[in-house]
Amino acid sequence: MNTVSVIYFGQSAELTGLKGEELVSVPTPISSRELWELLQQRHPRLAVLRGHVVLAVAQQYIPIAEQLVVLRDGDEVAVVPPLSGG
Amino acid sequence: MTTFVFCSYILNYYFYYCGYFVTVIFLLVRFSRLTAMDNEMCSLKRQLEEKEKEIAALRSKLAARVEKASELKIQDKVTTLNPLTAKPSLSNEDIMRYSRQLLLPDLGVQGQLKLSQTSVLVVGCGGLGCPLAQYLAAAGIGRLGLLDYDEVELSNLHRQVLHGEENQGQAKALSAARSVIRLNSGVECIPYHLQLSPENALQLVQQYDIVADCSDNVPTRYLVNDACVLSGKPLVSASALRMEGQLTVYNYHGGPCYRCLYPVPPPPETVTNCSDGGVLGVVPGIMGCLQALEVLKIASGQGTACGQQLLLFDAQNARFRSIRLRPKQPSCVVCGEIPSVTRLVDYEAFCGSAATDKCRKLNLLSKDQRITVQDYKSIRDSTGPHILLDVRPLVEVEICSLPSSLNIPLSSLEEKKSKDIQLLQEKISQVKQQMAGDQQAPVYVVCKLGNDSQKAVQLLEKMSGEEVDGITVKDISGGLMAWAKMIDPSFPRY
Ligand SMILES: [Zn+2]
Repeated sequence: MNTVSVIYFGQSAELTGLKGEELVSVPTPISSRELWELLQQRHPRLAVLRGHVVLAVAQQYIPIAEQLVVLRDGDEVAVVPPLSGG
Repeated sequence: MTTFVFCSYILNYYFYYCGYFVTVIFLLVRFSRLTAMDNEMCSLKRQLEEKEKEIAALRSKLAARVEKASELKIQDKVTTLNPLTAKPSLSNEDIMRYSRQLLLPDLGVQGQLKLSQTSVLVVGCGGLGCPLAQYLAAAGIGRLGLLDYDEVELSNLHRQVLHGEENQGQAKALSAARSVIRLNSGVECIPYHLQLSPENALQLVQQYDIVADCSDNVPTRYLVNDACVLSGKPLVSASALRMEGQLTVYNYHGGPCYRCLYPVPPPPETVTNCSDGGVLGVVPGIMGCLQALEVLKIASGQGTACGQQLLLFDAQNARFRSIRLRPKQPSCVVCGEIPSVTRLVDYEAFCGSAATDKCRKLNLLSKDQRITVQDYKSIRDSTGPHILLDVRPLVEVEICSLPSSLNIPLSSLEEKKSKDIQLLQEKISQVKQQMAGDQQAPVYVVCKLGNDSQKAVQLLEKMSGEEVDGITVKDISGGLMAWAKMIDPSFPRY
């Protein structure tokens, strides 16, 4: 069980109403799908981004799948939907 | 007597000599004045000759510029370009102009020569494309293709820094090209006033060495990506919105393409553009500069570190983060091992949205659920009791609003915020008290353009009988911008 900080970018910050938050007692290892579902449970409006978002743990891209992720205490989880504006 | 004669003789002589001296002095003074005047005339002549030479030089420079500017023929379709001619060496003027970057061991003469032989296609001459084109031209890139389908508007000028007030209404591609030529007449500029499409994209992209995606919409991003993958060109891609920016180089040395990262386009309703969400001009400015940096490194042979990373800029906290990406995906439909996208497709259909950043017009309601701004004007004039519900975010209400409107943002309605629902209920009962009998309270919903107001009408109808009761809800078609256009020209537009 670890504490990680989640950073929300772009549309995900709008949908959650947060720029970031601390998640305590996150089980590890955890599949990236479970990690995403955990976020979606906290913020159901994130569901619209599923399949259109980059998830990164400790500055490393993680595909949302069954792959197991080891979370270290203090790791940063970034939720990054694409930006298309210019 | 003789004394007198002698004296007068002497005096005569005296006067004679005096007269002689005066004449000599007079002549001497005159002569020296003449010499001074001669000298002055000579120097003036010399100066004039110098100025004439300078004028001639300026004239020929101006003629060269005029010729260069008149060469700026705006292209409304893609044509075949002559290949860029290789420069064997730098001219003295090149050496002076680029001296400060020639001194960099990372660039040097060889790098500078490579820049002059590189062509870059800039897709979009807006907030990203302007600073990008500016720095590429300043650095001495060989050829710049500047593409934009749009014209310059007043609301562009805070971020699209190549366009000026006098360029409003002009094609952005031409306005950008003129600015770039003024900065560096040695750069060949080709303005394309056209929409990039599946029909023209390949022919265009194939003629350039590097492509920079500075576009403002999702379908164009997929189109540019696929055209780059199919023609094997590196794609330097940036985007910006509000206080955030992103940068990645796609399709470069085994790195991923845009589709490897985003195989499925986002639903159109989740995409915010600059005209909806706003952007601080300097944010795309910074991202466009970063894009220029990566283009220059690739063009000069230094390579880029952004081929397998996503750079995130958080302007609010002045922080950069970079996310390491995976290499290109074998399963990718366009750059993978067995690609299914082998030619360009219909990207507007694929993304479910138009290839512009202009606001789309939703049509969610039936005709009897909507009224025109003219109808609403007569309702206001007749002073019948009603509620005008403005569902825009607070930040927009602060820009302008109609008097006596009730502001509850759409997001608060969606979340059914109890404070706001209570406010609405109070207002409904007030209006009902003003009305005779047991009539329903009319609620007219307004927003900026008439999209969110339709969503709000649907929402309020769903809430009817539960959270709110006894109302008839209608949307004001076209919103406050239609009001400004048709009813009150003094109402601000944004
Ligand atoms: Zn790919």
